[in-house]
Amino acid sequence: MFDIFKHKVGDVVLPGDVFSFASLAQDSRMEKIICGPGLRRNGDEVLVCKSGVLRHKPANLFWVDSQQKRYVPAKGESVIGIVTAKTGDTFKVDVGGSEQASLSYLAFEGATKRNRPNVQVGDLVYAQFIIANKDMEPELVCIDSCGRANGMGVFGNDGLLFRVSLGLVRRLLVPRSEIVKDLEQLFPFEMVVGMNGRVWVRAQTTQQTLIVANLLESCENMTAEQRKLLFRRVADGC
Amino acid sequence: MSLMKLCVPGEKLCSAEDCIPGAGTYLRHGHIFASLAGYVLQKNEGEEPPVISVIKETEAQLLPDIGAIVTCKVTSINSRFAKVHILYVGSTPLKERFRGTIRKEDVRATEKDKVETYKSFRPGDIVLAKVLSLTRIYISLGDVQSNYLLTTAENELGVVVAHSEAGVQMVPISWCEMQCPRTHAKEFRKVARVQPEYLQA
Repeated sequence: MFDIFKHKVGDVVLPGDVFSFASLAQDSRMEKIICGPGLRRNGDEVLVCKSGVLRHKPANLFWVDSQQKRYVPAKGESVIGIVTAKTGDTFKVDVGGSEQASLSYLAFEGATKRNRPNVQVGDLVYAQFIIANKDMEPELVCIDSCGRANGMGVFGNDGLLFRVSLGLVRRLLVPRSEIVKDLEQLFPFEMVVGMNGRVWVRAQTTQQTLIVANLLESCENMTAEQRKLLFRRVADGC
Repeated sequence: MSLMKLCVPGEKLCSAEDCIPGAGTYLRHGHIFASLAGYVLQKNEGEEPPVISVIKETEAQLLPDIGAIVTCKVTSINSRFAKVHILYVGSTPLKERFRGTIRKEDVRATEKDKVETYKSFRPGDIVLAKVLSLTRIYISLGDVQSNYLLTTAENELGVVVAHSEAGVQMVPISWCEMQCPRTHAKEFRKVARVQPEYLQA
């Protein structure tokens, strides 16, 4: 059962590809496989739902690594949103999805009915989804389950907000990410990465901010060597 | 009782001497006029003059009353309530779809504040509920919107038929979970307990 999958790890798969186990002998079917994003079980088969590269993590996890620019809200993800409106007790926040998310003004650290948070239309907020599904309006909060801000809330007096693809965002958020380590060698900067494909950076001067933004945008389609070469050229140039 | 003909509002039906105006009619200048569009019905009651009335449908409409068990379909959900369309009252289908609301507090009898609407209902589910009350909102003269307040806070009430995200009808496995037979994924719903007389042994 594993072999059918392992054969294809690292290959490009397309939606509609089927991994069928009906032809196997009865006793070799008893292995447990965890289907990650992009794979779906359909009775005795596993169907591919997204186009991309099939990946494997030891033990038994398989998933499809796909490229996407359009963000779909999912519960628990931290995103950068832009406040678009204040309606009654909630703010309407644009997160780049199909509808705007709502953010209650009580969902900030230390906010009470009398002590309202200082949030204006046009501000950037780093928040987490508590409700995000296809049937309801998504809801954000700027506190964690203990009631602490934990880095979330309004930010970004200066700096630059730009969009990248979701694949690049996932690569940036990996612990000890290669791209971030290489960038740190260049000059000090602050960065906020939202899982909706939005990144905010701020460096000491405007020029450095723009350089960092351009480098991040160009990291999308480069291999590791090309990236290191480019960063070295920039470091020499400054 | 004899069905005469169709009429529209404002049509003169007969003179005031022949009949007594009934429902859907009014008396003006010694004549009876229709105020509704529908069938003209003349009821002969023996010695008294016949009563003439206008009715919309040939059969009387069955309205859900308080305490009745209704079958409804969820149309949209919200973090505070779920909106439904009432399809059947008891076992009789309704010709018109009445609107109903199931509030978050009325979904379960226990742990009312921990209810999540997304884990109880989804749009498209068929739900058995009981009528709590009816509110009529008069938008303008002649335009009334009725909204029924429903509850599922009993073991026998709740989701009866639900489809999974794969589109297949799910099988209930407990009072709060249903499973899709094809993808084997479990989803949360507030499931109605099947009545013993409907179970086929």
